[in-house]
Amino acid sequence: MRTRRGFVHELSKNRLMFLMLLPVIVFFLINSYLPMVGIYYAFTRFDFNTSLFDSEFVGFENFKFLWKSGILTKLTLNTLGYNLAFIVLGNALAIAAAILLSELKLKWFKKLTQSILFLPYFISFVILSVIVYNLFNYESGFLNTLLKGLNMEPIDVYNTPWMWIPLIILFYLWKNLGYSMVIYLAAITGISDEYYEAAKIDGANIFQRVWHITVPMLKTTFVVLLLFALGSIMKGQFDLFYQLIGNNGVLYNTTDILDTYVYRSLKVTFDIGMATSAGVYQSVFGFVLVMTVNYIIRKINEDYALF
Amino acid sequence: MHKPQKTVSLLLTVLLVGAALSGCSGSGDKNDGEASQGASPSASAKPSESASASPEASGSASPSGLDTSKHVELQFYMLGDAPKDLGIIQAEINKMAESELNATVKFNYTSWTDWDQKYKLLLSSGQPIDLIFTADWTQYQAYAKKGAFLPLDELLPKASPKLQAFVPQDMWDAVKIDGKIYTVPATFKEYVTNGFVYREDLREKYNLPVPKDIASFEAYLDGIKKNEPDMQPLSMNSDVKTNLMDVFREINDDTVGGPLPYGIGIKYNKPTEVYSYWGSDEMKADLTVIQRWQQKGFFAKNVLNVKDTMQAPIVSGKAAAMLGDNPNRFNDTQLKMQSSHPDWKLGYYPFPLTRGFATPVHPIHNGFAIPKSSKNPERALAFYEKMVTDKRYNQLTQYGIEGKNYTVKDGYYKMIGDSTSNGFGREGMNGWAWRNPEFMLFDKSFDGVKEIFAELDKIQKPDIFTGFAEDYTPYQAERAALEQVEKQYFYPLYAGLVKNVDEGMKTAMDKAKQAGLEKVQEGYKKQWLEYTAANGIQ
Repeated sequence: MRTRRGFVHELSKNRLMFLMLLPVIVFFLINSYLPMVGIYYAFTRFDFNTSLFDSEFVGFENFKFLWKSGILTKLTLNTLGYNLAFIVLGNALAIAAAILLSELKLKWFKKLTQSILFLPYFISFVILSVIVYNLFNYESGFLNTLLKGLNMEPIDVYNTPWMWIPLIILFYLWKNLGYSMVIYLAAITGISDEYYEAAKIDGANIFQRVWHITVPMLKTTFVVLLLFALGSIMKGQFDLFYQLIGNNGVLYNTTDILDTYVYRSLKVTFDIGMATSAGVYQSVFGFVLVMTVNYIIRKINEDYALF
Repeated sequence: MHKPQKTVSLLLTVLLVGAALSGCSGSGDKNDGEASQGASPSASAKPSESASASPEASGSASPSGLDTSKHVELQFYMLGDAPKDLGIIQAEINKMAESELNATVKFNYTSWTDWDQKYKLLLSSGQPIDLIFTADWTQYQAYAKKGAFLPLDELLPKASPKLQAFVPQDMWDAVKIDGKIYTVPATFKEYVTNGFVYREDLREKYNLPVPKDIASFEAYLDGIKKNEPDMQPLSMNSDVKTNLMDVFREINDDTVGGPLPYGIGIKYNKPTEVYSYWGSDEMKADLTVIQRWQQKGFFAKNVLNVKDTMQAPIVSGKAAAMLGDNPNRFNDTQLKMQSSHPDWKLGYYPFPLTRGFATPVHPIHNGFAIPKSSKNPERALAFYEKMVTDKRYNQLTQYGIEGKNYTVKDGYYKMIGDSTSNGFGREGMNGWAWRNPEFMLFDKSFDGVKEIFAELDKIQKPDIFTGFAEDYTPYQAERAALEQVEKQYFYPLYAGLVKNVDEGMKTAMDKAKQAGLEKVQEGYKKQWLEYTAANGIQ
């Protein structure tokens, strides 16, 4: 009762603020909450002749195909593993690159490096897949032509599953480093010069300044980015995996993620019910994950938690 | 001070979670559209029902009893890539259709990339579509059975009596699924059986055998590999099931038709015997040959990542042969190849000559249906009637504009310019389904195909496979899981990439059984036997 009155009170006190917030709320209601009605598809048998709520209710039958082949665990682990690598390595590299760049004094060189690092972000995955194929294909790829030129044994990259773990991570980092680096670079620019000057007077060298000032100041940015990334951890990077691996079943053991698996299964049996059930599984898993991590972070330091 | 913060943070939580949830499901996007449009298919089905119930009520404008008082735009969907000049042709068609049917049409193309995925989305997303291509290879039978298309039986006499009379009754009967017509079949009689496609000039040059079966084909490929080391003997891409395995089985294993799903085997000469091809000795023998081809380097080692079409490497001279293609497409490939390399020659040897019989194309193979989501089924059918039976519509959409895209000389079609400079080639709109034998123009080179057809006519036998409509609802989950297993464990076998065929087959079979192979095969077998019994096939 008390919180309710508190809310009404709050509403009338800050009504202008809430009015300004309204468009955002409406936007999310329409784009994010209304479509959730579609979750019901996961529990019905799709029928061309009836509408959603007239369809036959089948309970969890649509979810069956997910564990029928017994690889749901592997898929989940692959998805989680790759995303963890993306998040951890991606952020670590971005922070390192941002710090290095911020310490550079030559302005034109700094801008140039930043642009070069940023450019891959604009390359589409389709083009990336062509580049990668021409780098690594067995008969005429760049790598093997080079190896043959050096009188070495050619490597059959496309039939060697383990190689794709580092390769995929590498291409992800190559493509996304510039983008996340800019976010950290902005955060670094926001740090007041006074800290550094004070440290300099106290005799701190450049490493000490970075370690004791820059890194701690970036922690909040990191935590926020981390939580955002975790929210979509089950989503994977569909384009990346689908374009690079495609139909190559030889590599699936190490490269198959939930998104690609679902896509392939339903390419043949296109069924709204089963597609939705897979989406629901991903969403619920992602939701639980975000809540857990946020809970842990709040336990450690309440200020860093998202909510 | 504390409370407002909490409210705001709660609000933020809700928003963020919402963003996470909506962002998480990649497939969710598709459902979004579905949720808002889910009601439209059932709503749009009604006008046709009510209209057919009271034909007198509407018929005022045209003699056939078609109501053309309201202007409509028809959405027409075809597979493949649109020709360059499509816009011009569409404008020409619309000029006529506007005055005659008070309708305009928009021709849409899916492109061949992931066409199957797009096709499924088109049908199930509820987006209004008035005409869509159907074929056995687009799962016409399954979709019709599931109710994706409108039944045409009552619409035909009303909206398109001419078309109804034009298509022979036995063809209308042949496309019926559960007693109802769902598609307008094409009437042009042709053969889409496969045959070896190979570079004839190279065969002559190096005195290689004519490929007639797998053994002589292998000898031919061996010869190419030896004499033209820079050339890839066999054109192949990542879809090794369709382009390698299914074709291989057609020539080597006397399959009833195809492609047969779920590793099922049925022989044409023993149609009531259903066995599991997966795991059989027959499969092992086939896979051993394919593995040998792979090891000899007949096609790329990374074939599973090759995204070219099958024909492109032949046209450009990168590859020398194709395991199988149908006579018509062979002719296309040859035309394209010779337009840039007149001195190259392409040979063709039809599988039916080796197998001893040829099955003419089943009426289901090419057709147009009206999806449930159509808002103007009658006008769509009336328009389609024009496409088929009206010479102006038909030739315009098949060959382009006379004098600009083609000329007719001695009764033969002649393209102006070549395939790159001409914006509308022969059958540039992939108009296989609305071919009308009376209006058809053939390139001089098509005489060769006609000869092949004449030869095949002599040994023709009925197609007993295509009329079968599978209903996979009872084993849908297993089917999806099995599809996965096939991609992961059978494709590498199909591509000859697994070093030990025995072990590879064993692993693949274990995984397939785990996914429910037996249930799927049993279900298919049961339906197939019911079908053969009902149709007196022995």
